[in-house]
Amino acid sequence: MSANEKAPIKAIGEVYLTKEGMTFHEVSEVVCKVTENKAPRNWWIAFFIASSFTGVLGAAIGYLFWQGVGVWGNNAPVYWAWDITNFVWWIGIGHAGTLISAVLFIFRQKWRTGINRAAEAMTIFAVICALMFPGIHVGRVWFAYYMFPFPNQMALWPNFKSPLIWDLFAVSTYFTVSLLFWYSGLIPDLALLRDRAMGMLGRVGKIRRTVYGALALGWRGSNRHWQNYERMYLILAALSTPLVLSVHSVVSFDFATSVLPGWHTTIFPPYFVAGAIFSGFAMVMTLTVITRAVYGMKSVITIRHLELMNKIMLLTGSLVGYAYAMEFFIAAYSGNPYEKYVFMNRAFGPYKWAYWTMITCNVISPQLFWFKRLRTSIPVMFAVSIVINIGMWFERFVIIVTSLHRDFLPSSWGYYRPTLVDVAIYSGTLGFFFTCFLLFIRWVPMVAIAEVKGVLPEADPHAAEETHDAKLEDGAALAPGE
Amino acid sequence: MKRAPYPTEAPREGQKAVWKSLGDKRNPDAAKEAAKSELLTPITLSRRGLLGLGAATAALATEGCIRRPVEHIYPYTKAPEYVIPGVADHYATILSRRGELVGALIESHEGRPTKVEGNEEHPTSLGSADLLMQAATMDLYDADRSTSVREKGKRSDWGAFDRALAAILKTSQADGGARVRVLVRPSSSPTLLRLRTLAADKFPHTRVHSYTPIAESNSREGARIAFGQAVVPRHNFAFAKTIVALDSDFLHGEQGALHATKGFVHGRKLDRPSDPMSRLYVVEPSLTVTGSNADERLRLPASEVDAFARALAAEVAKHAIELGSVKDAVADAKAPEGTERFLTAAAEELAANKGKCAVVAGRRQPAHVHALVHALNTALENVGHTTSYAPVVDVTEPADLGADLKALADDIDQNKVDILLILGGNPVFDAPSDVKLAEQIDKVPTSIHLSSHFDETSEHCTWHLPMTHELEAWGDGRAFDGTFSIQQPLIAPLHDGRSVIELMAHLTDEAPRGHELVRATFRERAATPARFEGAWKTALRLGLDAGSNSVRFEAHATLDEVAAAIKKAPLAKSIGPSNLEVAFAPCNKIHDGASGNNPWLYEVPDPITKIVWDNAALVSPATAKALGIESEDVISIARDGSKTIEVAAWVQPGQADNSITLTLGWGRENVGRYGNGRGFNVSPLRTTKAMDMMDGVHVSKTGKTYKLVQTQDHDRMEGRPIAIDATLDEYKTNPQFVLFPNEEEKRSGSPTPRTLPLWDRAKYEGHKWGMTIDLNACTGCNACVVACIAENNVAFVGKEQVYRGREMHWLRIDRYFIGESEDEPEVAFQPVACVQCEEAPCENVCPVNATIHSEEGLNDMAYNRCIGTRYCANNCPYKVRRFNFLEWRGPEGAQQRVQDTYQEIPETEKMAFNPNVTVRMRGVMEKCTYCVQRIEEAKIGSRREGRAIGANEIKTACQQTCPADAIVFGDLNNAKAEVARLARSDRGYALLAILGTHPRTTHLGKIRNPSPALHHHREAPEPTKPALGKPPEHRTPVETPK
Repeated sequence: MSANEKAPIKAIGEVYLTKEGMTFHEVSEVVCKVTENKAPRNWWIAFFIASSFTGVLGAAIGYLFWQGVGVWGNNAPVYWAWDITNFVWWIGIGHAGTLISAVLFIFRQKWRTGINRAAEAMTIFAVICALMFPGIHVGRVWFAYYMFPFPNQMALWPNFKSPLIWDLFAVSTYFTVSLLFWYSGLIPDLALLRDRAMGMLGRVGKIRRTVYGALALGWRGSNRHWQNYERMYLILAALSTPLVLSVHSVVSFDFATSVLPGWHTTIFPPYFVAGAIFSGFAMVMTLTVITRAVYGMKSVITIRHLELMNKIMLLTGSLVGYAYAMEFFIAAYSGNPYEKYVFMNRAFGPYKWAYWTMITCNVISPQLFWFKRLRTSIPVMFAVSIVINIGMWFERFVIIVTSLHRDFLPSSWGYYRPTLVDVAIYSGTLGFFFTCFLLFIRWVPMVAIAEVKGVLPEADPHAAEETHDAKLEDGAALAPGE
Repeated sequence: MKRAPYPTEAPREGQKAVWKSLGDKRNPDAAKEAAKSELLTPITLSRRGLLGLGAATAALATEGCIRRPVEHIYPYTKAPEYVIPGVADHYATILSRRGELVGALIESHEGRPTKVEGNEEHPTSLGSADLLMQAATMDLYDADRSTSVREKGKRSDWGAFDRALAAILKTSQADGGARVRVLVRPSSSPTLLRLRTLAADKFPHTRVHSYTPIAESNSREGARIAFGQAVVPRHNFAFAKTIVALDSDFLHGEQGALHATKGFVHGRKLDRPSDPMSRLYVVEPSLTVTGSNADERLRLPASEVDAFARALAAEVAKHAIELGSVKDAVADAKAPEGTERFLTAAAEELAANKGKCAVVAGRRQPAHVHALVHALNTALENVGHTTSYAPVVDVTEPADLGADLKALADDIDQNKVDILLILGGNPVFDAPSDVKLAEQIDKVPTSIHLSSHFDETSEHCTWHLPMTHELEAWGDGRAFDGTFSIQQPLIAPLHDGRSVIELMAHLTDEAPRGHELVRATFRERAATPARFEGAWKTALRLGLDAGSNSVRFEAHATLDEVAAAIKKAPLAKSIGPSNLEVAFAPCNKIHDGASGNNPWLYEVPDPITKIVWDNAALVSPATAKALGIESEDVISIARDGSKTIEVAAWVQPGQADNSITLTLGWGRENVGRYGNGRGFNVSPLRTTKAMDMMDGVHVSKTGKTYKLVQTQDHDRMEGRPIAIDATLDEYKTNPQFVLFPNEEEKRSGSPTPRTLPLWDRAKYEGHKWGMTIDLNACTGCNACVVACIAENNVAFVGKEQVYRGREMHWLRIDRYFIGESEDEPEVAFQPVACVQCEEAPCENVCPVNATIHSEEGLNDMAYNRCIGTRYCANNCPYKVRRFNFLEWRGPEGAQQRVQDTYQEIPETEKMAFNPNVTVRMRGVMEKCTYCVQRIEEAKIGSRREGRAIGANEIKTACQQTCPADAIVFGDLNNAKAEVARLARSDRGYALLAILGTHPRTTHLGKIRNPSPALHHHREAPEPTKPALGKPPEHRTPVETPK
C-alpha cells in the first residue's frame, strides 16, 4: 500500500493509530503469533524469576498464618504499615485498566485500542494482589469471613458503618465488573484464536481448538452477535465508569473517615483517584514498553499511544502534586495543631526520607513530560514510569505510616521498621503479578485485535468507496473478527 | 500348708487324661517342668508369722497415714463454709517487701491465690499495695522455683537432709555450736526472734549474721546516735506544710512508702483553690518518684547532700530554732555551690512552719545525716505532729550489715566455721566485692542454703533447700509501728519447700511446723489460754492483732550526741568532673532483685527512664557530654578496691552532674528463664565501706553498645493539652485553668474549642460508669499497672517485642518532661487507660462489630468476634488498644518473647490467671474494660441481695491498689458516688476533648506549689513550632527542637 491510498484519512485530519498501512491480517498475525509460536527464551527466564517470587509469596503467607501478624514490623501505634500500603498501591495500579477500557471507550478515544487489553489484564491481576492484603492482614484469618454479610445463628451482621465494609464491597464489585469487562472484550479474539487453530495439527491444535472454543462461547461473528456484543460492551463500560471513581474514593474513606490527623481529610477521594490513575498509567507504561519491544508490537502500539499516556501521567502527577500542597495549606489554614504537626513531621520528621522520595518521584519526575522530546523517548518514559510506581508506593507509605507513627499523645509515638517477611510478601505479590501477566501474554491476545481492526481505515464503512482497489486479504473487511 | 494350684502330675489310673496341647501329651515330663516354673511360689506362713505380718501391716498403715494436721485459716470477710466455684475468697496476710512487711488481702479462687490487694485494716497498707506486692502471685507461680532439696547440686530429699543435719548438729552441740553460723535477712518476725533465742540456749556460741543488699543500717545508726536506741522514724505527711527530703525516695523506694504516699497525697488533695497544699523540697542525685513529685527539686550528688544538710541546719538555726550544740557543729558548714538560694528558701519555710513540717533523710545517707535530721525534727517541734518513732523489733540487728557479712567471711577464712546456714537471701550475688563470699562458702565443710531458686548462692553450697513462698507458709512479723501481723498460707507449698522459721526450728527443740511455731509465739501474747483461740482467729481474719502496735514513740534527739557525731564525721570530698561519684539505688521495679524472675516486674517500664527488661547507669546530659558517652554506650566503671563493672549508660534528664546512679538487683545469672542475663549486676562495684555511694570512680567507654528499650521514647508534650498542670497561684487566679492549657489560649482567653455532636447523643439512664484520675495525686509508682496485669491476665511480651512497640499493658503511665532545660525538667505523670469514649472512634470503624457500646456506656470488646483488622487501634486517639500480634502464651510467642528453649507457658504460670477474665489469643485486640468483671460481680451480688449497688462499692484493680487514691471509679449517675463529685471538679478535663469523643474518664489537672521565695517562674512556654526530633535509632531522652 502506498501512502497515497490513505491520503483521504490525512485529509480529514485523522492520524493512523497503527503503523501506517497495516492490514487486518497483519494485525491478526502480529498479535496471534505470540500465543501460537514457542515462547521466546526471555519469556522463560522472566517466568522462572516471577514464579520463584510467587513461591516466596506462598511461603511467606504460610509463615504469616502460622505465626501471626507479629512476623511483620507492624506495631503500636503503626498498626497498619506495608500491608495496607501494598493494598492501596495495587488497587491504584488496577485503576488504569478500567479507565482506559471504559472511560476512554465512552469518550470515543480510539487510541485506547492498542493498550486496553493489556491494561485490563493488568487491572485484574493487580486487584487480585490487592485483595490478598485485606485477607491476610487480619489477626485471625480463619475468621475473616465475618466481614461478609451472611445469615448466621449469631444473628450478627457486619458493621455497615465501617469503611472497611464499604471497601470490601467496592473492591469486590470493581473486581467482578473488571473481570466481566475484560472477558467480554476477549470473546471475538478468542474466537479468532480458535479459528486459527482449525488448521493446526496434532494435540496442540486440538487443545487450542477445545479451550479457545469453549472460552469463545460459540462466537461466530454474525451481525447479531456483534450487535449484542457492542451493546453489552457499552453497558459494561457505563457500569465501570463510576467504579473508576468510586473504588479509590471508597479506599480513601478508610483513611478520610478516621479521626487521625493526616488521614482525616476531605481532599482524599479526588486525590486518591488521581493518584490511582497516575500509578495505573505508569504501570501500563512499564509493561507496554517491555512487551511492545519484546514482541514487536511497535506497529500496533505506536509511540503516539505512549505519548498520550505520558500526557495523562503529566496531568495526574500534577494533580497529585497539587493535593500534596493543598494538604499543607489546609493544615496551616485550619489552625489545628495536630494537623500542622503531622504535615511538618511528614516533611521534616523521622520519615522525611520517604516524603521527599515521594515528592521527587511523583511531582518532579513527570514534569519531564512537558518536553515533547522527552515524552516520546522510550528510555525516558520507561524510567519515569518505574520512578512513578516507586513514588506512588511511597505516597501510600507516607500517608499510612507517618500519620500513624506520631498522632495525638506523644507518649505513644513510635517508629516502624519492616521485617524480612514484609519484604518477602511485597516482592512476592510483584512476582505473582508478573507470573499472571506473563501467562496472559503467552496464551491470550495481548492486544484487542477486533478493536484495533475496528479503528483501521478499512473498518470505516466508507473506506471501500474511497479506495476501490483496497486489498482485503482476509476477505472480512466489514467484520473485524473472523 | 502346701497346695499346688494346678494338677501337674500324670493322671492316675482310671482318671481321664487331661492335656493342654499335643506337646504336653507326648512329652509329659517336659510339660511338668514347664508348669512348675509357672506356679506361684508356695507361701509358707506359720500362724505366728501371719499375726506378725498383720501387725506390721497395721503399723505401716498407721505410720504412713498420719492425719494431716488441722491448720485453720480464716477468711477476712467471707466464711469458708463452702467453696463456691467462681466466687473468690479473700484472706488477710502479710507480704514482706523492701525489708518490711505490708498487710495484704489475697483473692483466692478455689484455693488458688490470684490477686493481691491492700488490707484496709493494716497500718502499713491502708488498703493499698505496691507493685512488688501486686507481682507476688507471679513469684509464687514462678516455674523456675527450686522444686527439690539438692546435695552438691544433685537432687536429694528432705529425709536425707534432716538426717545429715541432725548428725551435724549433734556433733556441734558439744562445743555449744561455736563452729555453726547462721546468715539471715533482717526480719521483724517475732517467731524467728523467739526461735533464735531458743537456738541460742541450745547453741550458745553460734553466731547469727544478718545481711541484705539494701539495708536500713544508716537510719538505725543515726537513730542510735540521736536517741540512744534504734528506732524507725515515720512521718505523717498529711500534717506537714513543708517537707524537705534529703536524698530520700520516701514515696517509692524507701520503707513505709505506701503509708507515706497516703499521707503525702492527703496533704495535697485539692477540692477547691482555697484548700491548703504542702510544698515538697527534694535534694537528690537522680530523678526518683519522689523527686518527680517535688515542687522544688535540687539535683545534687549524693555525697554532697551531707554538706547541704549541715548548711540547712545552720540556716534553720538562724531563724531562732533552738539547735543547741548542733548549731555550733554546723556553724562553719558551707553549702555546696549553687544551692544557696534553694537552701535559704527551704530553711526559711521550715522555720516558719515549726511543728508543721518534716525533714526526711534517705537510707543512702550516712548515719550522722540521719542523726542531724532527727535533731532538726526535734528542734522544729515536729515530733508528735508530723514525725513519730517506733522501736525496731530486732534489737540484735547489727549496725552495719556489710561489716557483719565481712566478719562472717573473715571467720570462714580463718577456718572457724564448719556449718553455715543461709536462711533466705542470695549473698553470693549481691555481696560487695571485698567479701568474696563465693570463695569462702566453698571452704565451709557444710553449707546450707534455703532459697526459692537454685541460685548463685545455692551453687556454692553443699545443700540447697527449696524455700516456700510467703503465700505458702505460716509466718508473722511486726509492722513499722509494731503491729503484730500473721502471715497465713493461701495454698499448700507447691514445691515441697520449708520456710525460714521451719528451718530455724531445727536448731531448737520445737517441732519444725510453721503453724505450731507461729501459734506458740502468739500464745505468749494471749492474756489467758482461754482467750487464745478467739484472739488467734480474730488476728487471722484481720491479718493483724489489733492493738498490738506500740505506743507512739515521741523521742527527742539528744542534740549533744548529734553534734559530736557531726563533728566527728568528715565531709566527703566535693564531687566534680575530676571526682566522679556513683550512687547505688534500689530498682524502682525489682528493688533488690529478690523477685528476680518476675516477668511482670521486668516488663513494667521504670517510672522515670521508661526502660524495660534492663537497668542502666544514669548519667546527666552534661556529664555524658564531658565523658563523650551517649545513651546505650557500654561504659566501664572502676574504682580502687572494687571490681570493675561494665554497664550500659543512659543519659537521664534531672540527673546531678558528675554523679552516676547505678540500680541494684539486676544481672542475675542463675534464677530462671526471665531473669537470667537481664541487665547488669552492679554489686561487685560496692565494698563494705561503700555500700551506698562512692566517689573517685573512673569511667571509660568500652566502645560497645547495648540496646536499651523504652516503652515511651518521646518525652515532650509538644505544647499539647495532655497532662495539664498549673501552679497553685495560677489555680487560685484561674480555677478553670484546665480549659486554657496553652499560652495562646491563656492570652486569648478563649478555651480550646469543643466539637459539638451532629446527632442526638445517647442518654444513659441507668448506670453510667466513669472514672477520674487525679494527676495531682498520682506519684507515678506503677502499682496500678501491675495490678491491672494481675487482674486482667495481661500478657508480657519480652524486651524484643517491646522494642517493636508491642507491649500489652492496658494501663500505662505516661511520663512527660516539661521545660526546655534538660538538666532540671519538671515531670508530669499521667495514667492512661481506655477512657471509654461515649462517641468512640474505635467502634464505628470495626467491620465486624467486635467493639460496641454497652447500655451503661462501656466500650466493650467481644474477643470472639474480633478478627484483628486493627482499624480500631489506628483510630483510637489515646492509643490504649493493644493487639496480640503473636500468640504470647503459645510456643510461638514464647520463642519470640524470651528464650527459645522454653516452648510453652509453664503450667504454674497458668495458675496465676484470673478465672473471671478471658485469656486472649493471638490476632485479637484488647484494652481496659473498667474491670467489667468486677462491675458484673457487684451487680450480681446486689441483685441477689435485692439492693442497689453501693455508691463507692465497685473498685477497679488500679483504683484498689493506688496508694495515692488517684483513681476513683463509680457511677456518674449516682449523686453519692465520689466519682460523680470529682468528675465535676474545676480541675477536671476530658483528654483530647477537641475530638468530641466524650471520654468517661476525667483527668484532674496537676497543681504544683513552687516556692515564691525562689521566684520560680515557669519556663517559657514550649515553642509552638513543632519539634520533630530524629528517628529513634539513637534515642535521646529529651528531644531538642531543631
